[in-house]
Amino acid sequence: MKRTIAWLLFIIILSPVVTMSSERLPKPEKLVLKNGLTVYYLKNPELPLVSFRVLIPGAGRAAEPAGLDGLASLTSTLLMKGTKTMTAEQIAEALDFMGARLSIGDAEEYTSVSGESMTEHLPRLLQIAADCLMSPAFKEDEFKKELARKTDALKSLKDNPGSALRLYFRKAYFGDHPFGRLSSGTDSSLKKISLEEIKKFFSARFRPDISIMAVVGDIDRKPLLELLNKTIGQWPKPAASPLSLEIPPLPVPRGQKLILVDKPDATQSYFALGSTGYAVADSISGPASLMNTLWGGRFTSWLNTELRIKRGLTYGASSSFQNWKSGGIFMATSYTKNDKIGEMLDITFDLLKKAREQGFSEEEAESARNYLLGQFPQTLETNGSKASAYLRVIYYGLGFDYYDKYLNEINSIKARDLKAAALKLLPEKDFVLVVVGKGEEVRKILSKYGQFQEKKITDPDF
Amino acid sequence: MPRKLFLLILGIMVMSAVLQASFTKSDIKVHRLDNGLKIIFFEDHKIPSISYYTFFRVGSRNERPGLTGVSHFIEHMMFNGTAKFGPGEFDRIMEFYGGANNAYTSDDLTAYTDWFPPHALEKMVEMEADRMQGLIFDPEVFESERGVIASERRMGVENNNEAILQENVRATAIMAHPYHWTVIGWMSDILSWRRDEVIQYYRTYYAPNNAVLVVVGDFDSQKTLELIKKYYSGIPAQTPPPPVTTEEPPQMGRKEVVIKKEAQTPSFMVVYHAPRCQDPDFFALSLLEKPLLSGESSRLYRRLVRDEQLAISVFGGIEEKIDPYLFSIFVKPRPGADLDKIEKIIDEELNRIIEQGITEQEYQKALNIVRSDFYYSLQTNSGKANLLGASELLFGSYENLFTIVDRYARVKREDIPAVARKYFHELNKTVGKLIPQGGN
Repeated sequence: MKRTIAWLLFIIILSPVVTMSSERLPKPEKLVLKNGLTVYYLKNPELPLVSFRVLIPGAGRAAEPAGLDGLASLTSTLLMKGTKTMTAEQIAEALDFMGARLSIGDAEEYTSVSGESMTEHLPRLLQIAADCLMSPAFKEDEFKKELARKTDALKSLKDNPGSALRLYFRKAYFGDHPFGRLSSGTDSSLKKISLEEIKKFFSARFRPDISIMAVVGDIDRKPLLELLNKTIGQWPKPAASPLSLEIPPLPVPRGQKLILVDKPDATQSYFALGSTGYAVADSISGPASLMNTLWGGRFTSWLNTELRIKRGLTYGASSSFQNWKSGGIFMATSYTKNDKIGEMLDITFDLLKKAREQGFSEEEAESARNYLLGQFPQTLETNGSKASAYLRVIYYGLGFDYYDKYLNEINSIKARDLKAAALKLLPEKDFVLVVVGKGEEVRKILSKYGQFQEKKITDPDF
Repeated sequence: MPRKLFLLILGIMVMSAVLQASFTKSDIKVHRLDNGLKIIFFEDHKIPSISYYTFFRVGSRNERPGLTGVSHFIEHMMFNGTAKFGPGEFDRIMEFYGGANNAYTSDDLTAYTDWFPPHALEKMVEMEADRMQGLIFDPEVFESERGVIASERRMGVENNNEAILQENVRATAIMAHPYHWTVIGWMSDILSWRRDEVIQYYRTYYAPNNAVLVVVGDFDSQKTLELIKKYYSGIPAQTPPPPVTTEEPPQMGRKEVVIKKEAQTPSFMVVYHAPRCQDPDFFALSLLEKPLLSGESSRLYRRLVRDEQLAISVFGGIEEKIDPYLFSIFVKPRPGADLDKIEKIIDEELNRIIEQGITEQEYQKALNIVRSDFYYSLQTNSGKANLLGASELLFGSYENLFTIVDRYARVKREDIPAVARKYFHELNKTVGKLIPQGGN
């Protein structure tokens, strides 16, 4: 496959979404169920399929107690491993039998449920999804099995330097901040998690009245409403008022934090360089995503051009912003042969400097605008992506006209705005840099950038 | 980042008898230019975007020792300059017009997949036609791209235990046929491809009579055909490439590969020789793969992961290939798990299918999975383009997309044990183990 960047860019584009007025997200109908669950609905009769998403705010891993990384993830896994009326096997069998898809997964700020099936199977799928959310059994034996699987998966993860890099970076950047919690868990956190903790987390954090749902597909409003009321509408609203999720301010790197993870059998070194980004609703998101498109967000970006296209140092190099309600991060990443890591980092630092000092040309700005606008329609092509977009707009308080506003803004962004965004967001002296590679070969090369704190990949945790 | 980076992900090639009016055989328009280029159109104006897919009938199957990996290398070079558009210009112009693309090479084919807004159509047609015959293979760029591929191999194979094992198992199971090597090719070949040989390979396989164009989305068929004629008509047809004639001889006994390498967890896989995708047995094996391996309700998941707790995950099945390939079962064992016991359980489950077949419930499940996966992949322009192209190149015609479901439905539940018996036996089997050394 020629490039992974093409896939990455969807993530990058989806974050700050842009559109043209003719294809903006159609406005959904709003339904409120008796238990307080708000549902956004759009009919799409094109194929006999329906997708839905449920977002449960405050039930993500940022809400885990410190040191219990993986708690939210285990909770969502266990929701599908048995209810009061169905065993784990019965749930799996029922879903597989229909060819349906149902998954529950944790993000930092929320946990989300995602389902998709042929319309004829929707009643059963919704029934199962509701059952998982309303009456999980949380059986001891299922808990033990999943905990063991997660512990093993963690080891296997460290065999892959690319995956390991992201986890080490998260910990290095966020430390004890809630956004530093790892969905994979850590060796020590997995030893501490008990079934009691999971039950406690579930009852404190999962509730319908603050949740939001979106349904898109080939079903009429009336049968859908009946179906929802019979299934997820029965999810009882707890008497207690919802817990809030206070996210402390995101850490801001001061100076340089340098970490080397020694993986003696690595034939390549992988780096991640990160610094402060911006919040989802921040007004800088337009210029920032255009600037990132040019710097490291697409195939012909500066970073990929210098590292891959011109020098053949790597198969891929990219940068992205990740955004949350209260802030975000910037991250650039690539990999190369161990002995080339210095050359790669030098070029990366030069390009950061160049963007900050020289900025971008008007022609580049135009190209980035065209690119974001041209690629946008596909990001909302499926039922599932529309459902996700509804939840995003609601959760982050962007308003349904967000896309139109965004379009207008994108169209008016000029090269000078991109330079301003680069000056504000691309790191100069304050950053976190993590390298996973063969210590013996890279230690000396890296020493010119400063004092690296060294870890062994075989050491527990990150 | 996908784990198996250069393996073909065609999407599950599954079909359904009941197709919606929005995507039927009669909505597909087909043309052929005098130079042999076949064109498949499906207009769909839902979103202002066009998926423009070019498929070439060339993959690692067409290579030979010394030139392994060259199909994939040319896929990379397709972005590196013609006389008309210099190195990197294709991407630069395409992105300026709001387009993006990907490309992939498999054992059997190479695909160039472009997505762009309608106003970019003529420029994209021009550039795609241009690089079908006009690559210059600038020597400096050639060397730089060689480095990219070496990096891709280091990342995708050498730093990935599953991929190392898979490459070894494939090369052990398949002795004679070019499926012996993987798409990325051997490192020593990557480091020594000669420019003149690569150019010769390109001339042979990148010809209009060896290509199929699939266009899906927001365009006008008539106008687009005119554009395609304008830019592609002048490209001469080439002598058809030589057919691949090597056949894999029958395997005559169990084979085993053991890799010892630094790792924290072991890896394990079992493969059996399996039929080509146009063989009637393909559909029976593809159906039985579902109750055996698909999802947490599958027999192997239940035994290996849930009940015996020997594995973290298990997956696999049969792949759509032009020539006979493999039915694969990949297991990610738990650290320290008894690999012989894993193999024994897989044998037991396969024997159970040979003896007793699958249940009516499992048979219905398999057909349901086939049907819903088909609809999932029809949700996007790209999904449709991919299915049309794969159907044309692998199953003989795009039209099979609309009838092939009957071939699934025609497999009777009672037929399954006999087909299973034919393939899942000891003489036909290769086992691979990666055993961690050193480290922890």
